[in-house]
Amino acid sequence: MTTQLETPRRTRPSARRARPSLGKVLAWTALIGFVLVTLFPFYWMLRTALSNGAALATDPGSLAPVDFTWGAFERVLGIATTGEAQAEGGSGASLDFWGYLLNSVIVATSITLGQVFFGALAAYAFARLQWPGRNGVFFLFLLALMVPPIFTQLPNFLLMRDLGLVNTYAGIILPFFFMTPFAIFFLRQFFLGISSEIEEAARLDGASNLRIFFRIILPMSTGPLATLAILQYIQAWNEYFWPLLVGSDNSVRVLTVALGVFRSQTPQGAPDWAGLMAAALLAALPILILFVIFSRKIVNSIGFSGIK
Amino acid sequence: MTLTSPRTKRRRLSRRVVTSALAILTATGLAGCTQGAMSEGAWGETGDLTYWMWDSNQVPAYQACATAFEKKNPDISITIEQFGYDDYWNKLMTSFVADSAPDVFVDHSSKYGDYASRGLIENLDELVEKDNIDLDQYVNGTVDLWRAADGHQYGMPKDWDTVAIFYNEELASEAGISAEKLGSMTWNPEDGGTYEDVIAHLTVDKNGVRGDEEGFDKTRVETYGLGLDDSGGGYGQVTWSMLAGTTGWTYMDEPTWGSEFNYDDERFQSAIAWWRGLIEKGYMPPLSQTVGTALSSKMQAESYAMVTDGAWNINTYAKLQGVKLNTAPTPIGVDGERASTFNSLADSISASSKNKGAAWEWVKYLSSPECQSTVADAGVVFPSLSAVGDTASERFAETGFNIEAFTTHVDDDTTILFPLSENAVEINALMTNAMDKVLSFSTEPSSLTEVNKTVTGLLDE
Amino acid sequence: MATVLLPEATPSTPAQPTASARSNRRRATRRQTWTALAFIAPSLLGFVVFYFWPTLRGIYLSFTDFDVFTDPVWVGLDNYTRLFGDETFWNSARVTVQYVLINITLQTILALALAVLIHRVTQSTFLRSVVVAPYLVANVVVALVWFWMLDYQIGIVNQGIEWLGGNAIAFFGDESWAIPTIALVNTWRHVGYTALLIFAGLQMIPKEVYEAARTEGANEWKMFWKITVPLLRPVLALVLVITMIGSFQVFDTVAVTTSGGPADATRVVQYYIFDLAFQRLDFGYASAVSVMLLLVLAVIAFIQLRLTRANESDLN
Repeated sequence: MTTQLETPRRTRPSARRARPSLGKVLAWTALIGFVLVTLFPFYWMLRTALSNGAALATDPGSLAPVDFTWGAFERVLGIATTGEAQAEGGSGASLDFWGYLLNSVIVATSITLGQVFFGALAAYAFARLQWPGRNGVFFLFLLALMVPPIFTQLPNFLLMRDLGLVNTYAGIILPFFFMTPFAIFFLRQFFLGISSEIEEAARLDGASNLRIFFRIILPMSTGPLATLAILQYIQAWNEYFWPLLVGSDNSVRVLTVALGVFRSQTPQGAPDWAGLMAAALLAALPILILFVIFSRKIVNSIGFSGIK
Repeated sequence: MTLTSPRTKRRRLSRRVVTSALAILTATGLAGCTQGAMSEGAWGETGDLTYWMWDSNQVPAYQACATAFEKKNPDISITIEQFGYDDYWNKLMTSFVADSAPDVFVDHSSKYGDYASRGLIENLDELVEKDNIDLDQYVNGTVDLWRAADGHQYGMPKDWDTVAIFYNEELASEAGISAEKLGSMTWNPEDGGTYEDVIAHLTVDKNGVRGDEEGFDKTRVETYGLGLDDSGGGYGQVTWSMLAGTTGWTYMDEPTWGSEFNYDDERFQSAIAWWRGLIEKGYMPPLSQTVGTALSSKMQAESYAMVTDGAWNINTYAKLQGVKLNTAPTPIGVDGERASTFNSLADSISASSKNKGAAWEWVKYLSSPECQSTVADAGVVFPSLSAVGDTASERFAETGFNIEAFTTHVDDDTTILFPLSENAVEINALMTNAMDKVLSFSTEPSSLTEVNKTVTGLLDE
Repeated sequence: MATVLLPEATPSTPAQPTASARSNRRRATRRQTWTALAFIAPSLLGFVVFYFWPTLRGIYLSFTDFDVFTDPVWVGLDNYTRLFGDETFWNSARVTVQYVLINITLQTILALALAVLIHRVTQSTFLRSVVVAPYLVANVVVALVWFWMLDYQIGIVNQGIEWLGGNAIAFFGDESWAIPTIALVNTWRHVGYTALLIFAGLQMIPKEVYEAARTEGANEWKMFWKITVPLLRPVLALVLVITMIGSFQVFDTVAVTTSGGPADATRVVQYYIFDLAFQRLDFGYASAVSVMLLLVLAVIAFIQLRLTRANESDLN
């Protein structure tokens, strides 16, 4: 199990003491190159978002914001008047940012809770319980990973329509709520690694499986559960296609969908790049904050399991 | 929770799970049997109405109409929602499928045929007759565009549009081209007439050499004489239709709902050949450079000296900062007359609306003199009602543009109706692909003959 | 795509009950069966309703003519025969394969390089956090940002190219550039993440192997080819297949940037399906195209299983 995998701190002393070799210099240069390419677009979003949209074209090569202004953020958040917005190259349309943020939070939180809880239940059954057909069912779940989303999304959309769940939170959440194969595999892998002795001891004391699961297994697994929750949260937050289909209505629209709508709102003019970049930054911000807080956990859990 | 629950209890638990799972399965199974369900709507006379439109410029005018309407009809309320054109049709289609369509929406002549044939929008014939609405009060052609193949009317026309040339006054005067010259340009597919002369002369490369001068470097063009929006697809509304239309060519064998397309016509193909030739000559940008940009921003950046565009964009161009633009009519072509595609938007009522009675009241109001004069006064579009046309022209004239460039087509009857056909979405997808290829020089204009067979074949389906 | 995980290569051993008597065990097993059923019930429900049933329904619909508003009409194999003669479909298949090849090749090579660099030079968590950051941003946002940066006229990339004396490139507008561009954009988003997957694999290679090689005088280059690559092969195979399945499902980027144009140069299969279903209301035919995509992915999954099994011994 590698969830708590610590970064080895030990460096090779021999390599350290030696004069930096050409190879080392090249390696660092390449790494820095990677980092620059990775980070530049983020900087560019910020630079554009802080520019005056109407003036952007006048100095496209400037590395600093063109005609610095908070205007883009203001019009995205609906603080600016239509006149102000249009003067800076906006359409006058605003993003009901807080409303969409709330929708995103509701959707991503519900999905995460459902996936982690139900995933843990199922993973425990697959990892620690003996029952006929276990491997067969597990194989079926594995197959579910292979089905391209678009394939299930068309019929799922029809299903949601027939159930009258289009443009409801339930409609957006349900298909992801009960199960995602990934959550089950992820946790199963962890549960497999838990020593069975504690479990057996509890069982001898007369504890039921239910009790063992809630009182022993879950408390032991807070680390992986949290990691899974973060990963699934990110996933749910960034989902675009499905909420676009079933949740385009203003009342349940999530941030990614809202961003798409905002983009196409200026069909007669040039895209409001400053406004768009401001909106994109704002939409990505909650996840980036979450990431900064949990980066160690997330980074170490990627590539988490199974290879060994 | 009793953690050491007796076995029977646990069994009951799992049985309950199984039962509820079965219940859900049955529900979905049943749902599966009613796949084609679509609600029929109702004729409620009151309640909340949702009204969709795509042009953000027009929202204030229609919001004013809505407020006035609500005052007159206190038990009907209107919610206007606006989505950008690209998203609009996707959303509309999804909402039809999901049975959550807006009660009333702004409809496009290229789209309503599919909706009408599927029974998604209301046939307005009886309503028009019942309320004695005089269809002659609307600008000639607008009503025709909203009569479907079955002969019934599916929308109340709200506005109309034609196409004209927007040009940069400063660049034109630098080039020594007067407004008179721009207003009397001629065109033919062989040498392009004075239209091509003007385009060439307005084109300037990075060294300041004009397109018709010695040493012009067509690989490094600073300002293109004529801008390019896209390949125009099967309509070419703002791109090539004003040229092809002067050759006697028409989109189909009938003005509307024909049984055959004419993209195999020699006259059409030669017009296209001349038009795309401008790219080779360096007078018009290659198609690849047009992705992700708008004509108006290119005009603002002085990357283009002239563009052809529709009346609905007058305000967009008028508002551009830093450039002084004006309009000129499209050139006089082969038949000695000008030409322009003529189109009209209308309001349609969703068949699934619960309050179709109220929806009709709203649609009726939208096309009434009251709302139409509000719209005319806002100066955003040419209203469909003939009586208020002058108001709109006056408002438009305040932009300083030569508005006759647009109205001349209606006055002189040089319009060609926007083509109406079944399967328009699929046909236009095929034509866009084919025209993209021609414009990017991967195929010849003659390849459209083959495409014409395919799209004509789609008409009978 | 949700896959962060590398499915395990070795079948797991279930927890072995230490209980003594056989009958005891059987009773325990029966009791566990009911508990297990209760435990997997929600997941099973989700699986059946949202994966299994829609898959069946999709397959059924692929044999029908269905416009959503009227009941589906059984048309047998019509959709499939149409598919074989559908130039747009084959074009979209070509475009998709082209995308996948460019995307996967580039992404894997860069990710491998990045992972090895991180592994051999510094294992800093901070650095790893930075390179994985693009993965956290939604596809839609990534597509928008690059659409802006690669704008023909005022995009910063073309500004840079012109500053260096080159000619601006119509990244999204040129038929031959559009797909490589979209592949590059998605490479940017995924490369750090893929690198971390590979990095996890690298961490399993015992340090001693490298140390031993070093004492024998091997340089980094040699160690890369003689140690890293052979020992990493099964991990790489897994990573390849997982990223490839994700890659086949490219949609968001196309939807936000080119909408399939110019001249269908970016009309990838997924976008074509969307187009057929939701713009042309041809759900039956759209389902048939989906089935084809499903089959292709199944083949890849099959190859995955074979590959991982074939390479199992390398690691152990």
